[in-house]
Amino acid sequence: MLEGALDAMTELDKKTALRVDRLTKVYADGTHALDGLELRIGTGSFFGLLGPNGAGKTTLIGCATGLVRAPPGRVFVFGHDAATDARARLLTGVATQDVHLDRFLTTREVLTYHGRYFGMTRRAAGERADELLEDFDLTPKAATKPNRLSGGMRRRLLIARALMHRPRLAILDEPTAGVDLELRHELWRYLRKLHGEEGLTVLLTTHYIEEAEALCERVAFIRAGRIVDEGAPNELVERHGGERLEDAYLEAMQT
Amino acid sequence: MSSVDLRVAQRRGLFALAGRETRRVLSLWTQTILPPALTAVLFLAVFGGALGRRIETLEGLPYPTFILPGLLVMTVASQAFANASTSLFQAKSEGYVDDLLSSPLHGWQIAVGYLAGSLVRSFAAAAIVAAVAAPFASVGYQPALALVALFLTGLIFSALGVITGMWAETFDQHSFIASIVITPLALVGGVFYSARTLDEPWSTLTRADPLYYLVDATRAGLTGFHESAVWISLIVAAVVAAATSAAAAGLLARGWRIKP
Repeated sequence: MLEGALDAMTELDKKTALRVDRLTKVYADGTHALDGLELRIGTGSFFGLLGPNGAGKTTLIGCATGLVRAPPGRVFVFGHDAATDARARLLTGVATQDVHLDRFLTTREVLTYHGRYFGMTRRAAGERADELLEDFDLTPKAATKPNRLSGGMRRRLLIARALMHRPRLAILDEPTAGVDLELRHELWRYLRKLHGEEGLTVLLTTHYIEEAEALCERVAFIRAGRIVDEGAPNELVERHGGERLEDAYLEAMQT
Repeated sequence: MSSVDLRVAQRRGLFALAGRETRRVLSLWTQTILPPALTAVLFLAVFGGALGRRIETLEGLPYPTFILPGLLVMTVASQAFANASTSLFQAKSEGYVDDLLSSPLHGWQIAVGYLAGSLVRSFAAAAIVAAVAAPFASVGYQPALALVALFLTGLIFSALGVITGMWAETFDQHSFIASIVITPLALVGGVFYSARTLDEPWSTLTRADPLYYLVDATRAGLTGFHESAVWISLIVAAVVAAATSAAAAGLLARGWRIKP
Protein backbone atom coordinates (compact mmCIF):
# COMPACT_ATOMS: atom_id res chain seq x y z
CA MET A 1 0.00 0.00 0.00
CA LEU A 2 2.72 2.41 1.00
CA GLU A 3 4.86 1.43 -1.97
CA GLY A 4 1.92 2.34 -4.16
CA ALA A 5 1.79 5.77 -2.58
CA LEU A 6 5.46 6.30 -3.30
CA ASP A 7 5.08 5.06 -6.88
CA ALA A 8 2.60 7.84 -7.58
CA MET A 9 5.20 10.52 -6.80
CA THR A 10 7.41 12.42 -9.15
CA GLU A 11 11.19 12.30 -8.62
CA LEU A 12 11.04 15.78 -7.08
CA ASP A 13 8.30 14.71 -4.69
CA LYS A 14 10.37 11.72 -3.63
CA LYS A 15 13.28 13.97 -2.73
CA THR A 16 11.22 16.32 -0.57
CA ALA A 17 9.41 14.76 2.37
CA LEU A 18 7.88 18.01 3.59
CA ARG A 19 7.49 21.28 1.71
CA VAL A 20 5.90 24.28 3.36
CA ASP A 21 5.08 27.31 1.21
CA ARG A 22 4.21 30.69 2.72
CA LEU A 23 2.19 29.21 5.54
CA THR A 24 0.36 31.76 7.69
CA LYS A 25 -1.87 30.85 10.60
CA VAL A 26 -3.84 33.31 12.68
CA TYR A 27 -5.99 31.74 15.40
CA ALA A 28 -9.49 32.97 16.22
CA ASP A 29 -8.16 34.89 19.23
CA GLY A 30 -5.86 36.88 16.94
CA THR A 31 -2.66 35.00 17.78
CA HIS A 32 -0.28 34.98 14.79
CA ALA A 33 1.20 31.50 15.08
CA LEU A 34 2.80 31.25 11.63
CA ASP A 35 3.87 34.13 9.45
CA GLY A 36 4.58 33.13 5.85
CA LEU A 37 6.70 30.17 6.95
CA GLU A 38 8.83 28.41 4.30
CA LEU A 39 10.53 25.07 4.88
CA ARG A 40 11.92 22.10 2.93
CA ILE A 41 12.82 18.79 4.54
CA GLY A 42 14.65 16.33 2.33
CA THR A 43 13.61 12.71 2.16
CA GLY A 44 15.53 10.52 4.56
CA SER A 45 16.80 13.36 6.70
CA PHE A 46 16.64 13.67 10.45
CA PHE A 47 15.46 17.22 10.88
CA GLY A 48 15.23 19.23 14.08
CA LEU A 49 13.00 22.23 14.68
CA LEU A 50 14.08 24.39 17.58
CA GLY A 51 12.32 27.40 18.98
CA PRO A 52 10.86 28.86 22.15
CA ASN A 53 7.33 28.16 23.37
CA GLY A 54 4.80 29.86 21.12
CA ALA A 55 7.19 30.01 18.16
CA GLY A 56 4.80 28.03 15.95
CA LYS A 57 6.28 24.51 16.05
CA THR A 58 3.11 22.73 17.12
CA THR A 59 0.96 24.79 14.75
CA LEU A 60 3.21 23.86 11.85
CA ILE A 61 2.89 20.19 12.81
CA GLY A 62 -0.88 20.57 13.11
CA CYS A 63 -1.05 22.03 9.59
CA ALA A 64 1.00 19.14 8.20
CA THR A 65 -1.10 16.45 9.87
CA GLY A 66 -4.67 17.76 9.69
CA LEU A 67 -4.93 18.69 13.36
CA VAL A 68 -5.23 22.40 12.63
CA ARG A 69 -7.64 23.97 10.15
CA ALA A 70 -5.87 24.57 6.86
CA PRO A 71 -4.66 28.17 6.78
CA PRO A 72 -3.42 30.26 3.82
CA GLY A 73 -0.28 28.76 2.32
CA ARG A 74 0.38 25.15 1.48
CA VAL A 75 1.99 22.08 2.97
CA PHE A 76 3.03 19.11 0.84
CA VAL A 77 3.99 15.68 2.14
CA PHE A 78 5.93 13.83 -0.56
CA GLY A 79 4.13 16.04 -3.07
CA HIS A 80 0.63 15.46 -1.68
CA ASP A 81 -1.25 18.51 -0.43
CA ALA A 82 -1.68 17.92 3.31
CA ALA A 83 -4.94 19.90 3.40
CA THR A 84 -6.76 18.15 0.57
CA ASP A 85 -5.05 14.85 -0.29
CA ALA A 86 -5.61 12.01 2.17
CA ARG A 87 -2.54 10.21 0.78
CA ALA A 88 -0.44 12.74 2.70
CA ARG A 89 -1.94 11.35 5.93
CA LEU A 90 -1.06 7.76 5.00
CA LEU A 91 2.57 8.75 4.62
CA THR A 92 2.76 10.68 7.89
CA GLY A 93 2.87 9.53 11.50
CA VAL A 94 2.55 12.08 14.27
CA ALA A 95 3.25 11.93 17.99
CA THR A 96 1.72 15.05 19.49
CA GLN A 97 3.24 17.02 22.31
CA ASP A 98 0.37 16.20 24.69
CA VAL A 99 -0.32 12.54 25.25
CA HIS A 100 -3.94 11.80 24.34
CA LEU A 101 -4.88 8.13 24.20
CA ASP A 102 -8.28 6.48 23.84
CA ARG A 103 -9.16 5.34 27.35
CA PHE A 104 -11.76 2.85 26.16
CA LEU A 105 -9.08 0.75 24.47
CA THR A 106 -6.22 -1.35 25.82
CA THR A 107 -2.60 -0.51 25.03
CA ARG A 108 -2.54 -3.07 22.21
CA GLU A 109 -5.88 -1.87 20.86
CA VAL A 110 -4.67 1.73 20.77
CA LEU A 111 -2.14 0.48 18.23
CA THR A 112 -4.37 -1.92 16.30
CA TYR A 113 -7.24 0.55 15.92
CA HIS A 114 -4.82 3.23 14.79
CA GLY A 115 -3.41 0.87 12.20
CA ARG A 116 -6.89 0.04 10.96
CA TYR A 117 -7.89 3.73 10.79
CA PHE A 118 -4.90 4.01 8.45
CA GLY A 119 -6.06 1.12 6.28
CA MET A 120 -4.23 -1.89 7.72
CA THR A 121 -6.05 -5.21 7.82
CA ARG A 122 -6.97 -6.56 11.24
CA ARG A 123 -4.27 -9.23 10.97
CA ALA A 124 -1.52 -6.92 9.75
CA ALA A 125 -2.40 -4.42 12.48
CA GLY A 126 -2.20 -7.15 15.12
CA GLU A 127 1.22 -8.34 13.96
CA ARG A 128 2.61 -4.81 13.71
CA ALA A 129 1.21 -3.93 17.15
CA ASP A 130 2.92 -6.93 18.74
CA GLU A 131 6.19 -5.94 17.06
CA LEU A 132 5.96 -2.38 18.38
CA LEU A 133 4.90 -3.46 21.86
CA GLU A 134 8.07 -5.55 21.95
CA ASP A 135 10.27 -2.75 20.57
CA PHE A 136 8.90 -0.24 23.06
CA ASP A 137 8.97 -2.67 25.98
CA LEU A 138 5.21 -2.52 26.43
CA THR A 139 4.32 -6.19 25.87
CA PRO A 140 3.54 -6.85 29.57
CA LYS A 141 1.10 -3.92 29.43
CA ALA A 142 -0.65 -4.98 26.22
CA ALA A 143 -3.99 -5.57 27.97
CA THR A 144 -3.75 -2.50 30.23
CA LYS A 145 -5.78 0.65 29.62
CA PRO A 146 -3.61 3.70 28.82
CA ASN A 147 -4.74 5.62 31.90
CA ARG A 148 -3.16 2.85 34.03
CA LEU A 149 0.27 3.33 32.42
CA SER A 150 3.08 5.47 33.79
CA GLY A 151 3.89 8.76 32.06
CA GLY A 152 6.93 7.25 30.33
CA MET A 153 4.93 4.27 29.09
CA ARG A 154 2.20 6.52 27.75
CA ARG A 155 4.82 8.56 25.90
CA ARG A 156 6.30 5.39 24.42
CA LEU A 157 2.87 4.19 23.37
CA LEU A 158 2.19 7.51 21.66
CA ILE A 159 5.40 7.23 19.63
CA ALA A 160 4.68 3.57 18.82
CA ARG A 161 1.23 4.64 17.58
CA ALA A 162 2.80 7.24 15.30
CA LEU A 163 4.95 4.50 13.73
CA MET A 164 2.20 1.89 13.62
CA HIS A 165 1.18 2.27 9.96
CA ARG A 166 4.81 2.45 8.79
CA PRO A 167 4.80 6.12 7.76
CA ARG A 168 7.58 7.54 5.59
CA LEU A 169 7.60 10.78 7.57
CA ALA A 170 7.50 10.69 11.37
CA ILE A 171 6.69 13.97 13.08
CA LEU A 172 7.56 13.92 16.75
CA ASP A 173 6.56 16.96 18.78
CA GLU A 174 8.77 17.06 21.88
CA PRO A 175 8.76 13.26 22.20
CA THR A 176 11.12 13.21 25.15
CA ALA A 177 9.50 15.97 27.22
CA GLY A 178 9.20 14.75 30.79
CA VAL A 179 10.94 11.48 30.00
CA ASP A 180 13.78 10.17 32.17
CA LEU A 181 17.33 10.09 30.83
CA GLU A 182 17.45 6.33 30.35
CA LEU A 183 14.27 6.23 28.31
CA ARG A 184 15.34 9.28 26.34
CA HIS A 185 18.52 7.51 25.23
CA GLU A 186 16.51 4.38 24.49
CA LEU A 187 14.21 6.41 22.21
CA TRP A 188 17.21 8.03 20.54
CA ARG A 189 18.62 4.60 19.75
CA TYR A 190 15.31 3.44 18.32
CA LEU A 191 14.81 6.54 16.20
CA ARG A 192 18.36 6.31 14.87
CA LYS A 193 17.72 2.69 13.93
CA LEU A 194 14.48 3.53 12.09
CA HIS A 195 16.11 6.44 10.35
CA GLY A 196 19.23 4.51 9.39
CA GLU A 197 17.81 1.12 8.51
CA GLU A 198 14.39 1.99 7.14
CA GLY A 199 15.11 5.41 5.68
CA LEU A 200 12.42 7.08 7.78
CA THR A 201 12.35 10.86 7.51
CA VAL A 202 12.04 12.39 10.96
CA LEU A 203 10.91 15.87 11.94
CA LEU A 204 11.64 16.39 15.61
CA THR A 205 10.83 19.37 17.78
CA THR A 206 12.55 19.62 21.10
CA HIS A 207 13.64 22.03 23.79
CA TYR A 208 16.69 19.86 24.51
CA ILE A 209 19.40 21.32 22.29
CA GLU A 210 21.69 18.37 23.03
CA GLU A 211 18.99 16.08 21.65
CA ALA A 212 18.92 17.96 18.36
CA GLU A 213 22.72 17.95 18.32
CA ALA A 214 22.84 14.21 18.93
CA LEU A 215 20.20 13.21 16.40
CA CYS A 216 19.62 15.79 13.73
CA GLU A 217 21.47 16.16 10.46
CA ARG A 218 19.80 19.47 9.82
CA VAL A 219 18.20 21.94 12.18
CA ALA A 220 15.94 24.96 11.72
CA PHE A 221 15.47 27.74 14.24
CA ILE A 222 11.90 29.05 14.39
CA ARG A 223 10.78 32.26 16.03
CA ALA A 224 7.46 34.14 15.85
CA GLY A 225 6.16 31.86 13.12
CA ARG A 226 9.13 32.20 10.77
CA ILE A 227 12.26 30.17 10.11
CA VAL A 228 15.16 32.30 11.33
CA ASP A 229 17.90 30.03 10.00
CA GLU A 230 18.43 26.49 8.85
CA GLY A 231 21.38 24.21 8.20
CA ALA A 232 23.57 21.44 9.54
CA PRO A 233 24.40 21.95 13.23
CA ASN A 234 28.05 22.76 12.46
CA GLU A 235 27.00 25.26 9.77
CA LEU A 236 24.71 27.02 12.22
CA VAL A 237 27.50 27.19 14.79
CA GLU A 238 29.83 28.68 12.16
CA ARG A 239 27.29 31.28 11.10
CA HIS A 240 26.16 32.39 14.54
CA GLY A 241 29.34 31.88 16.54
CA GLY A 242 29.95 30.05 19.80
CA GLU A 243 31.14 26.54 20.33
CA ARG A 244 27.97 24.53 20.36
CA LEU A 245 24.52 24.52 18.80
CA GLU A 246 23.11 25.99 22.01
CA ASP A 247 25.27 29.12 21.54
CA ALA A 248 24.19 29.43 17.92
CA TYR A 249 20.54 29.01 18.92
CA LEU A 250 20.70 31.68 21.60
CA GLU A 251 22.50 34.05 19.23
CA ALA A 252 19.98 33.44 16.43
CA MET A 253 17.05 34.04 18.74
CA GLN A 254 18.43 37.41 19.82
CA THR A 255 19.12 38.81 16.37
CA MET B 1 -0.78 5.00 -4.15
CA SER B 2 -3.61 4.64 -6.58
CA SER B 3 -6.93 6.19 -5.68
CA VAL B 4 -8.38 2.67 -5.34
CA ASP B 5 -5.82 1.84 -2.67
CA LEU B 6 -6.69 5.00 -0.81
CA ARG B 7 -10.37 4.12 -0.92
CA VAL B 8 -9.63 0.64 0.41
CA ALA B 9 -7.64 2.19 3.26
CA GLN B 10 -10.47 4.62 4.03
CA ARG B 11 -13.08 1.86 3.91
CA ARG B 12 -11.08 -0.23 6.36
CA GLY B 13 -10.68 2.83 8.57
CA LEU B 14 -14.41 3.48 8.51
CA PHE B 15 -15.20 -0.11 9.53
CA ALA B 16 -12.61 0.12 12.30
CA LEU B 17 -14.18 3.31 13.66
CA ALA B 18 -17.69 1.86 13.48
CA GLY B 19 -16.35 -1.23 15.27
CA ARG B 20 -14.68 0.91 17.93
CA GLU B 21 -17.91 2.80 18.57
CA THR B 22 -19.94 -0.41 18.77
CA ARG B 23 -17.36 -1.93 21.09
CA ARG B 24 -17.59 1.12 23.37
CA VAL B 25 -21.38 0.79 23.53
CA LEU B 26 -21.27 -2.92 24.34
CA SER B 27 -18.43 -2.67 26.85
CA LEU B 28 -20.33 0.04 28.74
CA TRP B 29 -23.70 -1.76 28.50
CA THR B 30 -24.61 -0.98 32.11
CA GLN B 31 -24.43 2.72 31.21
CA THR B 32 -25.44 2.67 27.56
CA ILE B 33 -28.12 0.00 27.13
CA LEU B 34 -29.51 -1.04 30.51
CA PRO B 35 -30.62 2.37 31.95
CA PRO B 36 -32.66 3.52 28.93
CA ALA B 37 -34.27 0.09 28.65
CA LEU B 38 -35.10 0.21 32.37
CA THR B 39 -36.54 3.72 32.06
CA ALA B 40 -38.79 2.70 29.18
CA VAL B 41 -39.91 -0.41 31.03
CA LEU B 42 -40.80 1.75 34.06
CA PHE B 43 -42.83 4.08 31.81
CA LEU B 44 -44.57 1.02 30.47
CA ALA B 45 -45.24 -0.33 33.96
CA VAL B 46 -46.53 2.97 35.37
CA PHE B 47 -48.52 4.25 32.39
CA GLY B 48 -49.42 0.96 30.83
CA GLY B 49 -49.86 -1.11 33.98
CA ALA B 50 -50.95 1.21 36.81
CA LEU B 51 -52.75 3.93 34.82
CA GLY B 52 -53.67 1.57 32.03
CA ARG B 53 -56.33 0.00 34.23
CA ARG B 54 -58.14 3.35 34.40
CA ILE B 55 -57.58 4.34 30.76
CA GLU B 56 -57.97 0.85 29.26
CA THR B 57 -58.11 1.97 25.62
CA LEU B 58 -57.04 5.02 23.65
CA GLU B 59 -58.07 5.46 20.03
CA GLY B 60 -59.39 1.92 20.19
CA LEU B 61 -56.07 0.46 21.26
CA PRO B 62 -55.16 -1.04 24.66
CA TYR B 63 -53.14 1.65 26.43
CA PRO B 64 -49.87 -0.38 26.66
CA THR B 65 -50.15 -1.05 22.94
CA PHE B 66 -50.81 2.65 22.27
CA ILE B 67 -47.73 3.89 24.17
CA LEU B 68 -45.22 1.21 23.10
CA PRO B 69 -44.38 2.74 19.67
CA GLY B 70 -43.77 6.12 21.31
CA LEU B 71 -41.56 4.57 23.95
CA LEU B 72 -39.50 2.93 21.24
CA VAL B 73 -39.10 6.26 19.40
CA MET B 74 -38.26 8.02 22.67
CA THR B 75 -35.66 5.38 23.51
CA VAL B 76 -34.07 5.45 20.06
CA ALA B 77 -34.01 9.28 19.90
CA SER B 78 -32.57 9.83 23.37
CA GLN B 79 -29.98 7.05 23.14
CA ALA B 80 -28.84 7.89 19.62
CA PHE B 81 -28.34 11.49 20.69
CA ALA B 82 -26.65 10.58 23.98
CA ASN B 83 -24.23 8.16 22.35
CA ALA B 84 -23.03 10.34 19.51
CA SER B 85 -22.77 13.50 21.59
CA THR B 86 -21.03 11.83 24.54
CA SER B 87 -18.58 9.77 22.52
CA LEU B 88 -17.47 12.66 20.33
CA PHE B 89 -17.42 15.11 23.23
CA GLN B 90 -15.17 12.74 25.21
CA ALA B 91 -12.85 12.23 22.24
CA LYS B 92 -12.63 15.99 21.76
CA SER B 93 -12.27 17.03 25.39
CA GLU B 94 -9.71 14.29 26.15
CA GLY B 95 -7.85 14.99 22.91
CA TYR B 96 -7.79 11.48 21.44
CA VAL B 97 -9.93 12.63 18.51
CA ASP B 98 -6.51 13.63 17.10
CA ASP B 99 -5.99 10.01 16.13
CA LEU B 100 -8.97 10.25 13.78
CA LEU B 101 -8.31 13.77 12.57
CA SER B 102 -4.78 12.84 11.49
CA SER B 103 -6.03 9.69 9.71
CA PRO B 104 -6.89 9.46 6.00
CA LEU B 105 -10.61 9.27 6.85
CA HIS B 106 -12.87 11.93 5.34
CA GLY B 107 -15.10 13.97 7.64
CA TRP B 108 -18.18 12.13 6.40
CA GLN B 109 -16.55 8.79 7.16
CA ILE B 110 -15.84 9.86 10.72
CA ALA B 111 -19.47 10.99 11.00
CA VAL B 112 -20.70 7.62 9.68
CA GLY B 113 -18.55 5.80 12.26
CA TYR B 114 -20.18 7.73 15.10
CA LEU B 115 -23.65 7.30 13.61
CA ALA B 116 -23.12 3.53 13.40
CA GLY B 117 -22.26 3.21 17.10
CA SER B 118 -25.23 5.37 18.04
CA LEU B 119 -27.63 3.29 15.96
CA VAL B 120 -26.34 0.10 17.59
CA ARG B 121 -26.89 1.54 21.07
CA SER B 122 -30.33 2.95 20.35
CA PHE B 123 -31.60 -0.19 18.62
CA ALA B 124 -30.18 -2.49 21.31
CA ALA B 125 -32.02 -0.51 24.00
CA ALA B 126 -35.20 -0.42 21.89
CA ALA B 127 -34.99 -4.18 21.31
CA ILE B 128 -34.94 -4.79 25.07
CA VAL B 129 -37.96 -2.50 25.55
CA ALA B 130 -39.84 -4.31 22.77
CA ALA B 131 -38.96 -7.72 24.23
CA VAL B 132 -40.13 -6.75 27.72
CA ALA B 133 -43.32 -5.15 26.38
CA ALA B 134 -44.20 -8.04 24.09
CA PRO B 135 -46.42 -9.90 26.60
CA PHE B 136 -48.44 -6.73 27.38
CA ALA B 137 -48.78 -5.10 23.98
CA SER B 138 -50.20 -6.49 20.79
CA VAL B 139 -48.27 -5.05 17.85
CA GLY B 140 -47.10 -6.06 14.39
CA TYR B 141 -49.27 -4.40 11.74
CA GLN B 142 -46.47 -3.34 9.33
CA PRO B 143 -43.19 -3.84 11.22
CA ALA B 144 -41.07 -2.70 8.24
CA LEU B 145 -42.74 0.72 8.33
CA ALA B 146 -42.02 1.00 12.04
CA LEU B 147 -38.39 -0.02 11.47
CA VAL B 148 -37.96 2.66 8.81
CA ALA B 149 -39.42 5.29 11.15
CA LEU B 150 -37.16 4.13 13.99
CA PHE B 151 -34.11 4.10 11.71
CA LEU B 152 -34.82 7.66 10.59
CA THR B 153 -35.29 8.67 14.22
CA GLY B 154 -31.92 7.15 15.06
CA LEU B 155 -30.21 8.84 12.14
CA ILE B 156 -31.63 12.30 12.88
CA PHE B 157 -30.78 12.20 16.56
CA SER B 158 -27.34 10.61 16.04
CA ALA B 159 -26.48 13.42 13.64
CA LEU B 160 -27.75 16.01 16.11
CA GLY B 161 -25.61 14.27 18.72
CA VAL B 162 -22.50 14.52 16.53
CA ILE B 163 -23.15 18.24 16.03
CA THR B 164 -23.69 18.73 19.77
CA GLY B 165 -20.52 16.77 20.56
CA MET B 166 -18.57 19.12 18.33
CA TRP B 167 -20.28 22.24 19.64
CA ALA B 168 -20.06 21.57 23.38
CA GLU B 169 -17.00 22.98 25.12
CA THR B 170 -17.99 21.74 28.58
CA PHE B 171 -19.94 18.81 29.94
CA ASP B 172 -22.59 21.29 31.17
CA GLN B 173 -23.20 22.52 27.63
CA HIS B 174 -23.41 18.95 26.44
CA SER B 175 -25.98 18.04 29.13
CA PHE B 176 -27.89 21.28 28.55
CA ILE B 177 -28.93 20.26 25.04
CA ALA B 178 -30.10 16.86 26.22
CA SER B 179 -32.14 18.41 29.05
CA ILE B 180 -33.53 21.44 27.22
CA VAL B 181 -34.12 20.03 23.76
CA ILE B 182 -34.20 16.25 23.63
CA THR B 183 -36.21 15.42 26.78
CA PRO B 184 -39.01 17.98 26.13
CA LEU B 185 -39.24 16.88 22.49
CA ALA B 186 -39.64 13.31 23.65
CA LEU B 187 -42.25 14.11 26.29
CA VAL B 188 -44.54 16.31 24.14
CA GLY B 189 -44.23 14.12 21.06
CA GLY B 190 -47.45 12.21 21.55
CA VAL B 191 -45.88 9.19 23.20
CA PHE B 192 -48.51 8.93 25.92
CA TYR B 193 -51.53 10.53 24.26
CA SER B 194 -53.24 11.20 20.99
CA ALA B 195 -52.86 14.80 19.75
CA ARG B 196 -56.45 15.09 18.67
CA THR B 197 -57.73 14.33 22.17
CA LEU B 198 -55.93 17.37 23.58
CA ASP B 199 -57.26 20.92 24.01
CA GLU B 200 -55.42 23.90 22.56
CA PRO B 201 -52.62 24.91 22.79
CA TRP B 202 -51.41 21.40 23.65
CA SER B 203 -52.69 19.84 20.45
CA THR B 204 -50.85 22.41 18.30
CA LEU B 205 -47.77 22.15 20.49
CA THR B 206 -47.70 18.39 20.00
CA ARG B 207 -48.14 18.71 16.24
CA ALA B 208 -45.27 21.23 16.15
CA ASP B 209 -42.94 18.64 17.66
CA PRO B 210 -41.05 16.84 14.86
CA LEU B 211 -40.83 13.73 17.01
CA TYR B 212 -44.64 13.47 16.96
CA TYR B 213 -44.58 12.48 13.27
CA LEU B 214 -41.99 9.78 13.90
CA VAL B 215 -44.05 8.45 16.81
CA ASP B 216 -47.14 8.54 14.60
CA ALA B 217 -45.38 6.69 11.75
CA THR B 218 -44.02 4.05 14.15
CA ARG B 219 -47.46 3.67 15.69
CA ALA B 220 -48.92 3.25 12.21
CA GLY B 221 -46.39 0.50 11.51
CA LEU B 222 -46.97 -1.35 14.77
CA THR B 223 -50.71 -0.88 15.30
CA GLY B 224 -52.23 0.52 12.11
CA PHE B 225 -53.45 3.66 13.94
CA HIS B 226 -52.15 7.08 12.87
CA GLU B 227 -53.29 10.70 12.98
CA SER B 228 -51.21 12.24 10.19
CA ALA B 229 -50.24 11.25 6.65
CA VAL B 230 -47.61 8.58 7.32
CA TRP B 231 -45.81 8.72 3.99
CA ILE B 232 -45.49 12.50 4.16
CA SER B 233 -44.10 12.12 7.68
CA LEU B 234 -41.55 9.58 6.49
CA ILE B 235 -40.50 11.65 3.47
CA VAL B 236 -40.05 14.75 5.64
CA ALA B 237 -38.16 12.66 8.21
CA ALA B 238 -35.90 11.28 5.46
CA VAL B 239 -35.15 14.80 4.24
CA VAL B 240 -34.40 15.95 7.80
CA ALA B 241 -32.20 12.88 8.36
CA ALA B 242 -30.27 13.61 5.16
CA ALA B 243 -29.90 17.28 6.09
CA THR B 244 -28.73 16.65 9.66
CA SER B 245 -26.34 13.88 8.56
CA ALA B 246 -24.91 16.11 5.82
CA ALA B 247 -24.52 18.95 8.31
CA ALA B 248 -22.71 16.65 10.77
CA ALA B 249 -20.39 15.34 8.04
CA GLY B 250 -19.74 18.82 6.64
CA LEU B 251 -18.97 20.30 10.04
CA LEU B 252 -16.62 17.40 10.86
CA ALA B 253 -14.84 17.87 7.52
CA ARG B 254 -14.35 21.55 8.33
CA GLY B 255 -13.13 20.71 11.81
CA TRP B 256 -15.78 23.00 13.32
CA ARG B 257 -14.91 23.56 16.99
CA ILE B 258 -12.62 20.53 17.05
CA LYS B 259 -9.67 21.96 15.12
CA PRO B 260 -8.15 25.28 16.16
